[in-house]
Amino acid sequence: MRETRNEIRVTGSQQPWISISYVAGIFSFIICILLIANFLQMKKVDPIEQNTLNALIERLNDNPQDEALREEIRTFDHVSRKAYFTNTWQVRIGGYLLLIGIAVVVISLQIISLNKKKAVVISDEKPENIILHNKNARFWMMTGGIVIVAAALIAAYLSNSELENQFTQAAGRSTDRDEKGEQMFTEKQDELPKPESDSVILDTMNEIIINEKYTFPSWALIKQNFPSFRGPGSNGISYQKNIPVQWDGPGNQNIKWKLKIPLQGYSSPIVWDDKVFITAASNNNRELYCIDKNSGKILWTSRAENIPGSPPKSPETSDDTGLAAPTPTTDGTHIYAIFGNGDIIAVDLNGKLKWSKNLGMPVNHYGHSSSLVMFENKLIVQYDQRRSAKLMALSAEDGSIIWSTERKVNISWASPIVVHTGNRNEIILSSDPYVASYDPQNGKELWKVECMSGEVGPSAAYANGIVFAMNEYASLVAIDVKTQKILWEDNEYLSEVPSPLAFDDMVIIPTVYGIVVCYDAKSGDLLWEHEFDNGFYSSPIKVDGKIYLLDRKGTMQIIKASGKFELIAEPKLGERSDCTPAFADGHIYIRAGDLLYCIGK
Amino acid sequence: MSKKITFILIFVFFTISFVQASPVQRFPKPEFEYGHQQPPTIAPDARSQFMEYLDVFVLLVSLSLISWFILKKRSRWGALGMSVFSIVYFGFIKEGCVCSVGSVQNIALALFNPGYKIPITVIAFFVIPLLFTLFFGRTFCAGICPLGAIQDIIAFRPLKLKSWLQTVLGIIPYLYLGFALLYAATATDFIICRYDPFIGIYRFDAKFSMFVLGATFLLVGVFVARPYCRFFCPYGVLLNLVSRISWKHMTITPTTCIQCKLCENSCPFGAINEPTLDKKKEDRQIAVRRFIILSFILPLLILAGGWVGSQFHENLASVHPRVQLAEELMTFNESSELEPSLELTTYKSLGKSEEDLYVEAASIIREFHVGAWILGGFIGLVFGLSLAGLSINKHRIDYEPDRGSCLSCARCMDYCPMPEEEKPHRLLFAGFRKPVRFK
Repeated sequence: MRETRNEIRVTGSQQPWISISYVAGIFSFIICILLIANFLQMKKVDPIEQNTLNALIERLNDNPQDEALREEIRTFDHVSRKAYFTNTWQVRIGGYLLLIGIAVVVISLQIISLNKKKAVVISDEKPENIILHNKNARFWMMTGGIVIVAAALIAAYLSNSELENQFTQAAGRSTDRDEKGEQMFTEKQDELPKPESDSVILDTMNEIIINEKYTFPSWALIKQNFPSFRGPGSNGISYQKNIPVQWDGPGNQNIKWKLKIPLQGYSSPIVWDDKVFITAASNNNRELYCIDKNSGKILWTSRAENIPGSPPKSPETSDDTGLAAPTPTTDGTHIYAIFGNGDIIAVDLNGKLKWSKNLGMPVNHYGHSSSLVMFENKLIVQYDQRRSAKLMALSAEDGSIIWSTERKVNISWASPIVVHTGNRNEIILSSDPYVASYDPQNGKELWKVECMSGEVGPSAAYANGIVFAMNEYASLVAIDVKTQKILWEDNEYLSEVPSPLAFDDMVIIPTVYGIVVCYDAKSGDLLWEHEFDNGFYSSPIKVDGKIYLLDRKGTMQIIKASGKFELIAEPKLGERSDCTPAFADGHIYIRAGDLLYCIGK
Repeated sequence: MSKKITFILIFVFFTISFVQASPVQRFPKPEFEYGHQQPPTIAPDARSQFMEYLDVFVLLVSLSLISWFILKKRSRWGALGMSVFSIVYFGFIKEGCVCSVGSVQNIALALFNPGYKIPITVIAFFVIPLLFTLFFGRTFCAGICPLGAIQDIIAFRPLKLKSWLQTVLGIIPYLYLGFALLYAATATDFIICRYDPFIGIYRFDAKFSMFVLGATFLLVGVFVARPYCRFFCPYGVLLNLVSRISWKHMTITPTTCIQCKLCENSCPFGAINEPTLDKKKEDRQIAVRRFIILSFILPLLILAGGWVGSQFHENLASVHPRVQLAEELMTFNESSELEPSLELTTYKSLGKSEEDLYVEAASIIREFHVGAWILGGFIGLVFGLSLAGLSINKHRIDYEPDRGSCLSCARCMDYCPMPEEEKPHRLLFAGFRKPVRFK
């Protein structure tokens, strides 16, 4: 082929356009350089993840009352964000300038191109052979068609998974599972004690409703046991009778047995039938123990191990929290335990693992400590971690997430309580900045009251339509659950670790410095106040008309549950303890140091 | 060669700079502890009705103007000016939406989903360019479509592709159209919009991968003019078909073709048909026999295409969000170690049963089974007709624009030496011109 090349001649009138295209090109190039430099600078600086800022925040966490430091953080944060947004603005404006520059270059080149004096081009190439064109086109079209068909068939063959059948079968299984669930309950129901009413059991103090659709135990059966932290529903009430009031640890009086727990932990014991369960952990091991209630022997140990997603290294925790602070819970057929690295396990009564999973490493500077609680077939997990706080309901059957609700709160160390508030069930959580209630069936937020601050440790308490929540450096609030109005609040006696206890018309507030006070639940009037020698980390439990409150040195303060202070007894264990005791079948189970005590005959 | 390499390097450099300027990084709002009330989130208002009608009006005026520029004034300048206007208005100001190319999907969705109420303006954007094409050829492609315009103005060094290669690549838009219609009709996705390579450039907000795709198209477009329009655009398929029967299509020459060959290499899109020579005719018997065979196997190709499509229907359906969710739920139920996605968590939090999801997903797969038969049959038909078409040799005596693939850009007009003054009005348009053969 021979082709006469175009001879391009630039005329005088084009010279300005050539100059413009050069200027615009250079301008665009400079903008490019600046944009890239700016972009690299932005990549380096993250306004919310700066070492200086994080260090200041850590300092503020240690000293939350430092207003000057708070102001410094705000100023630093503001300056940092302003710098970032200025950079963003520069990049955006730069982008527009670059676009304009390129547009000018293109338009100039087009104008130059259109104005070029072109020499005529005459190709002496032979006209295209249409037969050859058609032949080639047919060949490649057929080849392309065959390739497409082959690729489609291979892809279909390789990925053939009978999806439609699988979905149809899965739909059938879902239906079967629901029906089977109802049958299982019907069969099991015969073995359970008769409920106190037809379908809904309302106790004057318990506030738990039982839905007969699922296979969980009846309320009557739950009341016979001590299935979670602070008892049934985690509300600080135990329904046991004949609990001892006298013992002496050093003298071994009325101590049925004591057991050395192999690993460390601050979780409290729970009791179901003739078994006691407790967790403990080290940096490398996380264990759940089942102990015979009568003999005090470990029946089996279940380990949280080989769990996919479990972090290889345990998180840093403070000494008074550790990796086994959350108390396990049980529904009478399985025990559910969570550990400080996010591992959660479900084990049957014989120690056989049913399911396990990792919820993600908790981002928590002391260590995760929120305990578990059951509602029907749902395992309620309060997972208030830094920047990813959420409340979850895991299926008791397989650990799958039934619902998960994001929460805009700071880290919380408190535990959820599950109560019946008159016409519905509610999960109530206390954290910074609010006390909130959630529907246990779907996780929907029912209400919230912004009244809390700081590092919230105490859980909420509920009685007769009023929720009580508190925290050190914040206040004690009494919230009407129907109106969500704060009935009263007080900030004289506050706690940062033990939870309040509410019953009848009063609320008991223990403190870490040893003072215990009792308020009138409705008015907030101080009914009594008493200063003990030692402070409290353990939460009070009301049992059999008495309040059991274990101080940090192991002395159980047994107080009459009334509007007048009356100390019933002060039995000593002789061992320091920060854990909340469990009560069952005339016995008390106390974790103290590395020992588990069973008190009673 | 070195000039080209330099050009490519500069182009890539500018593209990277442009891309990095576009995304807006986000991070959480400040965590105010006291006093500050977060303002409520406000959804932006929908584009006002008046503005939508204004867009339609601007489209009508623009199409009228460019048709006048090309057919009456025979002005490349006019077409280029309209391209710049389109890039500014339909591209940057309107941010490329609604565009006629994507409106194909709205039409398909409305036809198969009675619950979807299609806006009248979207119908207008679909129909008006087709009507103008029916009357005046693809003047919409010439400079009104913002996707075409941005490619058109950077086609500085177009290479001539082999015509058979162009013919083969010309099949791709049909396939793309078929897939886009299937996914739109099943309410799965608007893939034309999702994979629109230029929308991110117009909006300054595309993902990095889409910016790279757009930049690649522009880079290729410097050497292979308008690659998206010619080898991908699904709306171009419809315009191509309509343009073939257009009432008044642009012509290369204002009067009569003297076969000077000056325009032969002027079209960067290879859309000028050369005169055919008698001696190059294929043996008539062979051609007729092949045509008959292809005509007979056409139904077989449709059936075979349909069958292949039906075998592939699960793969096609797995793109549907509901099917993906059901698959995830099934996997999640079988393996408790997995973390559920946000979509699955949301679905569960709505209190809907697993059974409903599985039943819905199975129903969607059945829909896709039918859809895949139709898609496969359509692809078989396209292949069959294209092959049959290659057995028909049209007789031409002049250099003429290919009415289907000609984008009416008016470049070729500048190359014609015939003076405009001499043209009698009645010979202005091809439809009126009687062929005169010069030897």
